[in-house]
Amino acid sequence: MLKFILKRLAYTVFVLLGVSILTFLLLKLTPGSPAVLMLGDDATKEQIAAKEMEMGLDQPIVTQYLRYIGNVLKGDLGTSFFYKMPNSKLIFQRLPATGYLTLAALLLALLVSIPLGIIAGVKRGSFADMLAMVFALLGQSVSSVVLGLLFIIFFAVRLRWLPVMGYGGLAFVIMPAASLAMQMAALITRMLRSGLADVLQEDYITATHAKGIDSSTIIFKYALRNAILPVITVVGLQVGTFLGGAVVTEQIFGWPGIGTLTVQAIGLRDFSLVQSILLVISACFVLVNLLVDIIYTLVDPRMDFN
Amino acid sequence: MSRQELFRRMRKSYFFVIGATLVLIIVLVALFSHYIAPHDPIKSNLAKRLLPPQGLSGGWSGNVMGTDPLGQDILSRLMVGSRVSLQISFSVVIITAVVGTALGIVAGYFGGIVDTVIMRFSDIQVSIPPIVLAIAVMSVLGNSTFNLIMVLVFTRWVQYARIVRSNVMMIRNTEFIHASIVLGSSKIRLMFTQIFPNVLTSLIIVISQEFGRTILTESSLSFLGLGVPPPAPSWGVMIADGREYLSTAPWVVIVPAVMLMFTVLAFNFLGDGVRDILDPKNKN
Repeated sequence: MLKFILKRLAYTVFVLLGVSILTFLLLKLTPGSPAVLMLGDDATKEQIAAKEMEMGLDQPIVTQYLRYIGNVLKGDLGTSFFYKMPNSKLIFQRLPATGYLTLAALLLALLVSIPLGIIAGVKRGSFADMLAMVFALLGQSVSSVVLGLLFIIFFAVRLRWLPVMGYGGLAFVIMPAASLAMQMAALITRMLRSGLADVLQEDYITATHAKGIDSSTIIFKYALRNAILPVITVVGLQVGTFLGGAVVTEQIFGWPGIGTLTVQAIGLRDFSLVQSILLVISACFVLVNLLVDIIYTLVDPRMDFN
Repeated sequence: MSRQELFRRMRKSYFFVIGATLVLIIVLVALFSHYIAPHDPIKSNLAKRLLPPQGLSGGWSGNVMGTDPLGQDILSRLMVGSRVSLQISFSVVIITAVVGTALGIVAGYFGGIVDTVIMRFSDIQVSIPPIVLAIAVMSVLGNSTFNLIMVLVFTRWVQYARIVRSNVMMIRNTEFIHASIVLGSSKIRLMFTQIFPNVLTSLIIVISQEFGRTILTESSLSFLGLGVPPPAPSWGVMIADGREYLSTAPWVVIVPAVMLMFTVLAFNFLGDGVRDILDPKNKN
């Protein structure tokens, strides 16, 4: 198992290096020299040339990349053109808010979808099953933009139950978290429903019934353990969609996280900041999946480590 | 599967029947939107701004679904906007399918170094959340419909490549492929006349699932101002335009938002129906 984890770690390093190359190339695609963006339009040719030299832009591209990755490893993600502050500082200031939102959404998604998926899977064809399916189908068809705005119109503007936007406790986080959670909740409900229904038809479940073990023990102790495995993987893979959705959701609810920072950075054409955000978000995503894979090995003893 | 069996399964699948009917209606409205839209979708009339929906009380030429902040008729914008959104989604899904399938077949057939390069690149690609990547690339390249399509293709090809690759690897060592090699088929011929038809089923399933997702992503990007450039009335743009009027004129957001949801639901129904028909074992 240790060998598997080490292999998985090496792979993670490889992927992160690849991501850093992509984000590095992205900044190279920007029209115009970054030196001009930093100095403003009224800079003289000499000033621009001097700045380019200082930033190493006259070096070959490989040297530039090595310099970039060297800085990243030292924790230096570059300087924001607009804020004139280190990108890392700007991003890490905003990271807690995004973490709070995504965790709240994840929790909400699991709290809704796991009971719903279990009921639907166990009592197939029942009214509860139908409700769960309608929830899943609608949930997969609605984007966090649509849901967020509809929530604001009904719960904040019409009913006045919740604040329209802002950062804070439960009253503030519930609408953005719910609109972000919907897609994942729908997906997990569906997966758990079909997974559980399949597992319940397996011979070993019939055998436990024959032994006279009561139904709830069978479902929770024997069936659920198998049905939940694919769900764990999907949750990990969906974290990427989640982080992307957070960008949009934060924008709608004025949530002071990475998403709002991204949209601001784009508006200001602060590409160095955009690049750093892309790198940090992807790194979070890759690390979450590393974690998920390690958890998986602990939950599933049949796991093949080769 | 025989043709009769295919039709029998189509009729039996509620998802397919409902989804296909709704999608057909949506596509027809989108195709003929310029003829049936009651008003010019981009003609503003400030005297008529933010009129609430009036249903058919003013007849078809009234503002059935109200007007937006510029006095443009929402229903007409919705119809013409569906054309913009669908055009983009269709282009994206088709181009992605072609690119992804080609790479998947090549990777699966040749294996070795070619496979490693393509698959490791796909690993890196999927490690960047698609919307975030699309946002970053669009902000750098600037928004145009062409860039939008290319970015969405770039973020979604992996899906196809992986499924096609695993299918190809399964059939690469079957007897009919060996027979074809012995008969002297060239590699290109083998890949596209022998292997391709055999991955078609999986491919159609993925394609049918991707429409809904693509429409959603496109609308999110357009909502952020990184999609279709104005004045084209994409749904995401319409939703974004209504954001400042949530309390005074909520219909400006509600109408396109509900329409977007309904459309994606129709495509998802169709996608589920197609999977039920082609892959009855998988009831996910």
